[in-house]
This record gives sequence, C-alpha cells and structure tokens, in this order.
Amino acid sequence: MSIVLTVFSVSLISTILATLVVLADKVLNNYGECEIDINDGDKTFMVTGGSNLLSTLASSRIYIPSACGGKATCGLCKVRLGSEVGAVLPTEEPYLTKEEIDANVRLSCQVKVKSSLKLYIPEELFNVREYKAKIVRITRMTRDIKEFQFALVNPASVAFKAGQYIQVVTKPYANIKESVMRAYSISSLPTNNQELEIIVRLVPGGVCTTFMHEYLQEGDELSLRGPFGEFYLHEGGDTLVFIAGGSGLAPIKSMVFDILRQKLDKKLIFFFGAVTKQDLYYVDLFTKLDAEHDNFQYVPALSQPDISDEWEGEIGLITEVVGRYITDTADMQAYLCGSPGMIDACIRVLEKAGLSQADIYYDEF
Amino acid sequence: MRQDPRLQMIENNMHQGVLATYGFLGSDTRSLADVLQADQIAVHDLGTDHRALATKMRSFTAAGLKALGVPVTVNRLYQVTVEEFKGSIPCPFGDNYQARKVLTQVSSPTKTLYWSDLNLHMIEEHGFYEGIGARYRIDPRAIAELLEEEADRR
Amino acid sequence: MDGGPAISPIILLFAAIFTSNMVLANFLGMCSFISVSSEYKTASGLGKAVSLVMIVTTVINWLVYRFIVVPLGLDYLRYIIFIVVIAATVQIIEMAMDRYLPDLYMKLGIFLPLITVNCSILGISLFMIIRDYSLVQSLFFGLGSGLGWWLAISALAAIREKIAKNKLPLGLEGPAITFIITGIIALAFIGFSGIFIIQ
Repeated sequence: MSIVLTVFSVSLISTILATLVVLADKVLNNYGECEIDINDGDKTFMVTGGSNLLSTLASSRIYIPSACGGKATCGLCKVRLGSEVGAVLPTEEPYLTKEEIDANVRLSCQVKVKSSLKLYIPEELFNVREYKAKIVRITRMTRDIKEFQFALVNPASVAFKAGQYIQVVTKPYANIKESVMRAYSISSLPTNNQELEIIVRLVPGGVCTTFMHEYLQEGDELSLRGPFGEFYLHEGGDTLVFIAGGSGLAPIKSMVFDILRQKLDKKLIFFFGAVTKQDLYYVDLFTKLDAEHDNFQYVPALSQPDISDEWEGEIGLITEVVGRYITDTADMQAYLCGSPGMIDACIRVLEKAGLSQADIYYDEF
Repeated sequence: MRQDPRLQMIENNMHQGVLATYGFLGSDTRSLADVLQADQIAVHDLGTDHRALATKMRSFTAAGLKALGVPVTVNRLYQVTVEEFKGSIPCPFGDNYQARKVLTQVSSPTKTLYWSDLNLHMIEEHGFYEGIGARYRIDPRAIAELLEEEADRR
Repeated sequence: MDGGPAISPIILLFAAIFTSNMVLANFLGMCSFISVSSEYKTASGLGKAVSLVMIVTTVINWLVYRFIVVPLGLDYLRYIIFIVVIAATVQIIEMAMDRYLPDLYMKLGIFLPLITVNCSILGISLFMIIRDYSLVQSLFFGLGSGLGWWLAISALAAIREKIAKNKLPLGLEGPAITFIITGIIALAFIGFSGIFIIQ
C-alpha cells in the first residue's frame, strides 16, 4: 500500500511541477506579435517574438551576413538598432567597439526579439535572396581546387555585379551537426544569370570546404545566399591590373570576362601567382583569351617551378613579376584577390611603382 | 570536478564540428580546466612560459609568410613552409580573435611540427595547446625539443 | 511547529552568515565553491544567484513541506520532493528573469542551472525541517545562508586572484591551495563561534 502511495504522490508532485513549468513557459516566453521597422519605414512587418533577431529576420527573408549561424563566434551579423533592447551581453562584448556600443550596434544573433524593434541595415541587403540551387557540374582544377557550377532552381535568376560573392549554406554531415555559411566569390558572368559558378580550395579541417569537396555530388541541391560585397569594377582607370593567387582567381575571372564582353576601352593585364605548375588552372582559357583580345594580357608566374614542369613563363614571386611589368601607373586601377600575405606584398610593390592606395581594390580571403 | 560555467561554454565550442571539423579536444576526455592545468605544469617544468614559446613559434611563421608559399630555411637548420588558406576561424575562447587560416610547417633534421595561427594565439593568450588526439594538438615539450636542436648546434 | 524554536529571526540571519556558515561551518556546496572561485567577478555573480535561489526555495519548500508532505505523511520522501521543487523553481526563476529582468539574467543566468545541484540549497531546506523553523525564521535563515555563501566564495575568490599572480610550488597549484585557503578561512570563522548558537 505504501509503495502505491509513494509512487502516486511522487508522480502527482512531479506532474504538478511539470505543469507549472510548462505554464510558466507559455506565459513568460510568449512575446506575441512584434513589429520590425527597417530603415525608418522602408520595410515594416510583423513577426512572432521570442527568437533571436538574426533568425527572425531570416524567416522574413532578410539575410544579414553571418558565418557561425548564431553562436556569437563570427561577429559578422552586426546591425544598428533604433530601439532599446537592454545592455550588451557578455557574449557580444568582445565583438563590438566602444563606438559601436555607443551607436547601439549589436550582434543580431544575440538580441532576442521581445518587443517591436527599429533597426538600420545597408540597403543592399534588401536585394539578398536565398536561392535553391542544383549542382550541375563539379570539376577538379588542381589537387585541392574544385570548380562548382550551380543551376538556380528557385528563384530562377540572380542579379549581381562581377566580383561579388555568395554564401553557401552547408548541410549537416558526418560529425558536423549544424549548418554553417561561408562566402565564395562568383566566377561566372553576370549576364549568365541562371547559373552560378564558384571556385573552392580545400582547407584542411575547414567545415564548409570539406563538405563541398568530399560530400557534395553532382545533382545535389543546396541553398545559396547573396549577392554580397563591394569588390567590383569601379569608375575610371584606362589600365586595369588584376592580381590573383589560389582561389582568388574566381572574382577576377568574372570581372575580366565581363569587361571584355562589354568591349570597354580598357587595357587589362592579369597576373596569376602559384608555386609550381600543378597549382595553375584555367591556363588554356586565359591563354586563348589573351590571343583573341589585343587589350588583354595574361601573365602566369611560378615562384618555384619543378624541373619537370618545363616552364617557360615568368619565374619569381608574384611581387617580383608584378614589379617587372608595372612601371607606369598613370590612369591605372588594380584589383587584387588572394591571401592577405600576397595582397599586402603586392600593395607595397604597386605603391612603390607610384599607384595611390585609392586606386587599389582588394578582396582578402 | 565541475568547472566554471564560462569555461564550460568555451569547451562546448571546442567539440568536433562546432567551429572546426576536427574539434579542439580530440579524444581527450578531460575537462578543459584539466587540459589547461596539465599543459601549464608541463610548460612550468620546461622552465619557460606560454608567451615565450609562442613568440619563438611566431618568428618561424613570419619568416615563412614572406616567401608566399615557397619553403625557406631559417637559422640554417629549419625548413619552414607557410601556406595561407581562405577564410578565418574564430578563437573558441570567445574573445573576438579571428585567426587567419595560416599553416606553418617547420622541419628540423629530426622532426616536423605543424601549427596554425590559431594555435599561436591560443598558446599566447590562453595557454591552450589543444586536447590530446586533436588534429592541431601541439605538445609544449615537442616545441621545446624543436627549439633546443638549434641551441645544441651552437 | 508554527512557532518554531525560540530564536529571533534576526539572530538566525546573522548566525547563518557567520557562526554556522553553510560552506565554512557545514561544508555544504563545496563543489561550485572550489571550482567557480578563480575569478572574483564570476564568484560574486554565483554568490548572488545562490542567495536568490536559497531565499525563494526555502520559502517554497517550507510551504510544500507544511501543506503537502506532512498532511500526506510523506516525510520519508522529502529529499526527492525538495530536489524536484528546487529544480522546477530554478527553471521558473530563469524564465521570469529572462522576461522581466534581462540585465540581471545576463549576469546571473549562466549560473542558475549550476545551482539546481548545489547541495547547500538542499541543505537549507533540510536544516529548516530538522530544526523546526517557522516560515519567518526559515526566510531569514535562507537569506542569511545565502549571504554567508556569497561572502565565503567572494573572500575565497579575492584571495585566489591575489595568489594567481605569485609562483606556487607545483603540487599546490589549483584545487590544492584552494582547499588550504578554505581551511584557513574556516578557522577564522571559528572566531565567531559562541556568539550565536543555533545548531
């Protein structure tokens, strides 16, 4: 009898407490409908409160760039708020400067939507969409670089400027339980607006590149977000110098093809730096382009070619080769994409040759 | 022993697949507090400190970085190759340090060590050498041995 | 039972802080006391959170004991019942704080789940039953014990912060020196004994 009573009373008390917790959750975590007002009325909509701002905005199709997906580790998803949401959380603090805190800039993944909010974001973000895309072709370019071609499924076309990037949203795989987002420059032409092409170099231990290189198959569907970025052709410049290394070739390819297609009256010279011949790719493509266009010159350079490479092109660090070619910098613009080490070194060389910092545009990995 | 909840949050970031595919703790079953403590003692025993080790390692990386991927010889003994990859990886200690994906390989006549820029930062600022079995675990004793080879030569 | 023993609640409050300090005299709640005391700021945050939870759970457990456990004759189940009541209370406090006191939630929030399993919280509820305290006495006892725990962990953390800058013999680093410090603080607190006697 006492066993029955014990079991019964313990169950009863647990049930009552569980009910209380559930009720409290219903009452306390219910923030109802909240109004989100972006850029002083440019866009307003109602959302259900209770989740973080980043995912709330994403569910309303406003995509703030983010890489970690809401763990407060990338510090990318900053937005400026126009309403008070309480003090800065310890998790956001390291990512915000004093000026940003004073201007009420917060990490949108750490702000919980509890009431109606006003916020300010760059207008370009309104054009950012999430695309469902299908992989039509994966091509191996070098031992660790692959080219991925996507056909857009929904929406079926995209508007972007040559040089901009998109974010790939990974799916959970192997021991990776959450999806992440990583940025890759678009290497295809803006006129070919139903397809996107990106170039991805495998990073040892990289969450997204491992997924792309080892788990993705032709025919798979994937989500892409974009376009983002300010690395595109700017006004002016009769001579354009492009310098790339590794997968930094992607935006340059898009820009070069776009300029040549428009038949702009500009002189282009494209330097591509690698260590040995096996790190070079698209050689035939650019050599052919060089032959077809009088105003385009292609300069691949190897810093340490193997004897078996039988290399007859330029030899030396990319900085040395650029230094040999660039002597007159009048009316010149330079576009650089590659590793920070390469970019820093090339900027020094270009500045030494007389190019002003304002005419050097670069996209660091 | 239960650890500081802040340290626990950091440990959660370190698991496989959260910030990096391999994770920072490998097959180590110890808590983060214990991992830090053990390496602290090892470094103490070597008669040096985290910052001094990191500074020496950083000088190899800096020398290799200038060569843009081409192997260079440092101090006539070490072969150093530095490779830069796209992207950055946040420090799991949540201090807004975004490490560039720079891998340094240093070979002496007897051994080869690898480290990333994140390793350098974590050793310098947090005294963290990663858990045993982690892909980028770098044992402070191994670093000291590598550095000693040069002293032995002199 | 309603009257409780003849001790003024105010005396109980001070006794719980000094003479029968939860951690230094009764050695309850040692786990988080040792492991979360390396930094003063964190330790003080945990101390405040423990105080808050102690006050609330003592009162709730007193009511539960008086009006549910005793009438149903479930005295032998009190450990289990107190534990689940504490767990549920902490959950609800966490949610309420998140909603109405976001600033406080930010500071104490991460400690709340840790507190559910802090044995000093359960200890308070059991002492109050064993010693037959009235509701008012229990309230002050809970408040005093919480403040006492806060005082103890803050003192320990402050000392550990000072020590962290100095070189220690290797075998004494970490928990070892912490236990020694705890012992010395406890010895110091013995100086208070005899002022109030409650146990």
